Amino acid sequence: MKNISDSRLSGLSRYGLLLALLLVVCLLPFWTGQYYLQVFTIAFYYVVLASSWNLIAGYTGQFSLAHHAFAAIGGYASALLVTRSGFPISVGILASLISSTLMGLILGVLCLRMRAIYLAIATWAFAESVRITLSMTYQITRGDLGLAVPKLFLGAGRALACYYLFLGLAVLTVLTIILINHSKMGYYLRAIRDDEIVARVMGINTTRWKIFSFIISSGIAGIAGAFYGHYNGLLTPVMVDFNEMAFIVIMVVIGGIRTIPGPVIGAILIEVLTETFREFGEIRMVVFALAVIAIARLYNEGAMGVVRQLAQRISIKGRHGKV
Amino acid sequence: MLIPACGRNKHDAEVNTIDSTLISQYIIAGIVIGLIYSLMAMGITFIYSIMRIINWSMGEFYMVGGYLQYIIVSRLIGVKVWYIGVILSMIGVFLLGMLVQWLLIKPMFEGNVEKRAEYATIVTISLGVLFVNVAVIGAGPFIYSPPGYSHNTQILTLPLSGTRYVAFIGTIVLLSLFYLFLKKTWLGRALQGAAQNRIGIQTAGINVFRLDQIAFGIGVALAAAAGALLAPEFYLYPKCGNIATMKGFEIIVIAGLGSIPGVLCAGLLLGLIESLGAVFLNPSFRDVYGFLFLLAILAIKPTGLFGETERVA
Repeated sequence: MKNISDSRLSGLSRYGLLLALLLVVCLLPFWTGQYYLQVFTIAFYYVVLASSWNLIAGYTGQFSLAHHAFAAIGGYASALLVTRSGFPISVGILASLISSTLMGLILGVLCLRMRAIYLAIATWAFAESVRITLSMTYQITRGDLGLAVPKLFLGAGRALACYYLFLGLAVLTVLTIILINHSKMGYYLRAIRDDEIVARVMGINTTRWKIFSFIISSGIAGIAGAFYGHYNGLLTPVMVDFNEMAFIVIMVVIGGIRTIPGPVIGAILIEVLTETFREFGEIRMVVFALAVIAIARLYNEGAMGVVRQLAQRISIKGRHGKV
Repeated sequence: MLIPACGRNKHDAEVNTIDSTLISQYIIAGIVIGLIYSLMAMGITFIYSIMRIINWSMGEFYMVGGYLQYIIVSRLIGVKVWYIGVILSMIGVFLLGMLVQWLLIKPMFEGNVEKRAEYATIVTISLGVLFVNVAVIGAGPFIYSPPGYSHNTQILTLPLSGTRYVAFIGTIVLLSLFYLFLKKTWLGRALQGAAQNRIGIQTAGINVFRLDQIAFGIGVALAAAAGALLAPEFYLYPKCGNIATMKGFEIIVIAGLGSIPGVLCAGLLLGLIESLGAVFLNPSFRDVYGFLFLLAILAIKPTGLFGETERVA
């Protein structure tokens, strides 16, 4: 069981590298165009989704295939509350958190007592049901026509403000997951993934922790979906298309499942590549799917694995040089 | 709002005139569609019982089967011999499934794959994405439909479209053949043995990897048969497998994983619930009732109707 703390880079240089990266990302809007500013904003949205999915699927080993559905539930909950009853957007976002965690709790309690495979199947069916319900209740959600959502930050600096908002969300999510990972709960979750029966024998209430991590990751997805709705100004049932979920899986696997920076790298890489090569249409998805199959088949660790090996090789060389 | 309003009126009219004939019609319709759904679920549960993995790209194999059937029937041999088309597309998808198993699923049992279920999930989901997008590139985002296979008929009190009738009969034939294959042939018995104990069967001198390959091929061929039979009824487009997979997954959770007779009962139940839910509640949500039923089953009997308590090796 490897994770990032195994990396040979020493703590100090790692934090320095992280700070430098964060600085670059903060200053990025000043030399990207308006178009790529928006691309990066969406990329940060996917960082949130991919990282939180990595918590439940990567670290806990419970494949939820309804992560996009939770984002949509959050988005629609907030949008409907704000448009229908005129509450401020902050209340809407709170409502999105409550509704997505509540759905997560119900699904988790029902499915997580069973084998891991039940959660995957039930969440798959759940996501399709959410999609159908959203397009059929057109009196409320306007179905496939799409629901117009009140936007956040009106005015000239809107794109920039949203960029920093989503950057903040992404950083917050990653920090939350690092915190969970270094706490007792993180050890419980990894123990559950590695061997659930042994974990239970060691006195871990596996069902409770599985449900807990499922709720957390669903809640994060719900909040992300709510912000996405208020950023985009339009919500449609396409958000719950299985392609979205596949996209999240692709990002996490290409970046490196079960690593903290993996989903971050994967989400940004895939989103930027998708936008840059938009003219190639569906060929992009074929290439991504092939890449994921190749990574799963040949090299389990994704882009993070490559980075880690490079770092190891460099540090070993450096040490040899000194000696 | 014109079209939904019409639908609503029609629905109201139906509710107002509920009588025994109508109820019997809906029950028969439910049984017909439920049996067709269980063909899909049979493939999923069969693959699961042998290899202990869920094939997430089942809907894409269904789609490939439908497209193959369309090409064979409308370009090559004509719709009169549609049954040959079904057999040919089943054979085609069987071979494709064997290839996929050999390339992607078999390595799961060798080498150092850390978590098999996780590996299989990731690989088959990506495979589904791959197939859908290849279909979009190859055939475009258009809706195809081969001509209907048969004239409209009547089962007892229910007037039925010819295609659905053909699919119903075809499903009965295929499931009977599948049952006979499992019970009467050497290969079928070997597969049952593999489902019971993978290591035990190796001690009996059977190459279990070859069995896996055949089982995967048969499983996806069943999905392809469903796709080929339903192509004129449900139309063909790159994502047409989605609804079929959803029903398949619902059925296997309701039935309990790995139970083959359970699949039949759960399929019929799901068909009945959808059909009766559509008439008594609201027809727009017929695809959601199955999921609600699934949740109810998980709450009452988490192992499914026919599932045994999980045995951990």
